[in-house]
Amino acid sequence: MAIIEIKNLTYTYPGATKPSINDVSLKVEKGEFVLITGPSGCGKTTLCRCFNGLVPHFYQGELKGEISVAGLETLKHHTHEMARHVGLVFQNPENQLFALSIEKDVAFGLENLGVSQAEMRQKVDWALHQTGIYDIRERSPHEISGGQQQRVAIASVLAMQPEVIVLDEPTSFLDPLSAEKIFEVIYELNRKQGITVILVEHRLDLTAKYTDHLIVMDEGKIFFEGDPRDILNSEQTRLIGVGIPKATLLYQMLKKDGLNLNKTTPLASEELADQLLEALKKW
Amino acid sequence: MSVFEGLRFRKVYSPIHSLDPRIKFIYVIVIFVIAIIFWQVIPLLILFFMQLPFVLLARVQKQWLRSLRGAAFLATFIFLLNILATYISSGFVLLAFDFERAFALTLRFVVLVESFSVFFLTTSPDHLGLALEETRVPYEFAFAFTTAVRFVPVLAEEAQTIMDAQKARGLELEKGSLLKRIRNYVPVLIPLIVSAIRRSLELAEAMESRAWGATKKRTNLYSLRLHRGDFALIAIIIGIIIVAAYVYIYFFASIPAITQFLQL
Ligand SMILES: Nc1ncnc2c1ncn2[C@@H]1O[C@H](COP(=O)(O)OP(=O)(O)O)[C@@H](O)[C@H]1O
Ligand SMILES: [Mg+2]
Repeated sequence: MAIIEIKNLTYTYPGATKPSINDVSLKVEKGEFVLITGPSGCGKTTLCRCFNGLVPHFYQGELKGEISVAGLETLKHHTHEMARHVGLVFQNPENQLFALSIEKDVAFGLENLGVSQAEMRQKVDWALHQTGIYDIRERSPHEISGGQQQRVAIASVLAMQPEVIVLDEPTSFLDPLSAEKIFEVIYELNRKQGITVILVEHRLDLTAKYTDHLIVMDEGKIFFEGDPRDILNSEQTRLIGVGIPKATLLYQMLKKDGLNLNKTTPLASEELADQLLEALKKW
Repeated sequence: MSVFEGLRFRKVYSPIHSLDPRIKFIYVIVIFVIAIIFWQVIPLLILFFMQLPFVLLARVQKQWLRSLRGAAFLATFIFLLNILATYISSGFVLLAFDFERAFALTLRFVVLVESFSVFFLTTSPDHLGLALEETRVPYEFAFAFTTAVRFVPVLAEEAQTIMDAQKARGLELEKGSLLKRIRNYVPVLIPLIVSAIRRSLELAEAMESRAWGATKKRTNLYSLRLHRGDFALIAIIIGIIIVAAYVYIYFFASIPAITQFLQL
């Protein structure tokens, strides 16, 4: 069974006139790395809130359709029950950290779950190591950079050992280098720990290479779903306002001008560089 | 920026900082009570100087002096008011002893300020939050306390940013009558409040997502345990109580006044 199953989900915020999620159906298999993108206001954040039951438990409003994550129907299970299975990382790192030291923040979820002190220590240390912030565990949140803060936020959901981690534009407050490090941490968790990752991102330049399941949303609907190489190569995707990776754009231009390049669309600069070298050798 | 630096807390390590905040608090209360019981200069001076080793061991003498300087104004006021009151009530004569009593009352105030400032200067907020969690205070209060400590500097910084932005758009904060000046702050306060509300919603969302309220029996990453230093402090506290009680019972009336010495 798929780890996330959504059938005909439609959701309207209280007081809103039109639904923010409109008839969305989606299946995510265990261990997948799913990338969601789309113009702002298209409902990505709202969809993320559905995964752990913030919608509808926290936000109220009207939810129709079916959604189950890790075998639990979010309609029937409160967010604090879902928290063991789904970790949510939000956009602004500053507003996710509330303790006065990093390790205390990482422990927050486990404390809420009533985990024993010894077990907590072990899980906290594990999460700190996985995200590379073990050495700064005793600092306070304002002594560290935004990138480190976001890693703390990741560690703090990781400590609860969820099957799924959902990250909503985790790097939009960060510089490109810190962003890249965050993506590497996420990719490692996916590959080595087998955690299912749902990543919402605009920076496809840096992230498209990690996934083979891309979702493009627009106006509350799933517009395209599938292999990023096909989707990002299509003209329609560009017209919605999706940030196509530069390597892909350059590939399209060169191809149009008659350069005989490999058939697979490159998603990252390294891939394009390889293809160009290959083409030049044949010349 | 420098103002906000003061609001941020940093972890400091010293033998005094690592003492159990609950024991430190009991110490402060004991000093407090003794300072209230005695009104003579000599015991109050002893109490005053007794704090010095703590201050030095914790290496907070700078901040400690600053807090004393802050209390100086009020202390002067208390002193003068006492002198004035005795002067009027005794038919416009002042004895040397009246000065001494006014001084003693002022000193009592200084000792109270001093002991509390030693407590707060040497107890980090997270330690204090932990102490709140471990005593029977409901967890929500302890959480509210630490979260406030966490976000006060963030909000202060944000207020500064908004002020700069509004000034750049031509807002003059320091101009006009008092009422006008207060009104000038409206364009700063409104964005600040709006942003604080949004921030609190985001925080609530993050808390929910991390299993807030999952069980009634919350556990804690840390626990306060008494160490050697704490037992030493307990011994000191008991010693102080015994000495103070002994002096109070047997010698209270015969504690000499400074003026008596001077007349010898
Ligand atoms: N808390 C909310 N209350 C009411 N409407 C909301 C709320 N959050 C988002 N919306 C609306 O839902 C739509 C989708 O928003 P959102 O999910 O935040 O999009 P995205 O994350 O893709 O930018 C937008 O039209 C937005 O105005
Ligand atoms: Mg969003």
